[in-house]
Amino acid sequence: MLSLDRSESLMNRQSDTGKRSVKIPSEIRHIRGVSSGILKWLEPRKLDDSRLFDIRLCVEEVLRNAITHGNDNDKELSVQVSYWLEGDSLVIEVEDQGKGFDAGKVPDPTIDKNLMKGSGRGVYLVRKLMDKMEFNDRGNRVRLTKYLK
Amino acid sequence: MSVKTEVKNDLTVCCIEGEIDINTAPDIKKAFEKLISKKTPKIVINLTKVTYVDSSGLATLVEILKNMRAYGGRMRLCNMAHKIKSLFEITKLEKLFEIIADEAEAISTFI
Repeated sequence: MLSLDRSESLMNRQSDTGKRSVKIPSEIRHIRGVSSGILKWLEPRKLDDSRLFDIRLCVEEVLRNAITHGNDNDKELSVQVSYWLEGDSLVIEVEDQGKGFDAGKVPDPTIDKNLMKGSGRGVYLVRKLMDKMEFNDRGNRVRLTKYLK
Repeated sequence: MSVKTEVKNDLTVCCIEGEIDINTAPDIKKAFEKLISKKTPKIVINLTKVTYVDSSGLATLVEILKNMRAYGGRMRLCNMAHKIKSLFEITKLEKLFEIIADEAEAISTFI
């Protein structure tokens, strides 16, 4: 089993700089807890429902990718999520322990021959709904930026 | 998440309530498998009570559509919240699905 105390691993930790982070085992059932925690943390910002929907969707999509593609659903591996505010922007960083992912190789799901396919829409939606989506060189860490004003 | 099914003349109306995402996708697939195995010719899916859809949810609806088309069946989506409709627009799935504003229209014009 992953050497994490479950209750502690799922609890948000806040650093002195206001950055929060949470580490979860690679299990889909933990995704909702992370997105709910971020939305709750954003409550004082009084964002509209549309923006909150976008943030939830994008957090859940990148977490799912990290768990299923990055860590290959290996419960021994964890996913680290950090989030903070930079001026008027929300920044969310998700890092898995996998070999890395080349987002450039995901086929465009919107071209006619791919419309009927079952996968590829997650990354596409995140790119469209966030203001920035950046990967590290290895491809196991993604940073999302969303302007809040 | 629940799927309520009602037969109205020659078509079947399915009301999905809740979220259509990676957690509920297996149950939604199972609910529609029964209709697909009976080769239900026309299905209207009412999404009034659907509050959230993710990429797994979109993929689930695509799979249902694909399975229906395999036997010549047709599906329509209606009463979609603006935000959810925008996901169909962004992903261009609006080109694949028949999306109708409300259930009454979806039924009356389903020839």
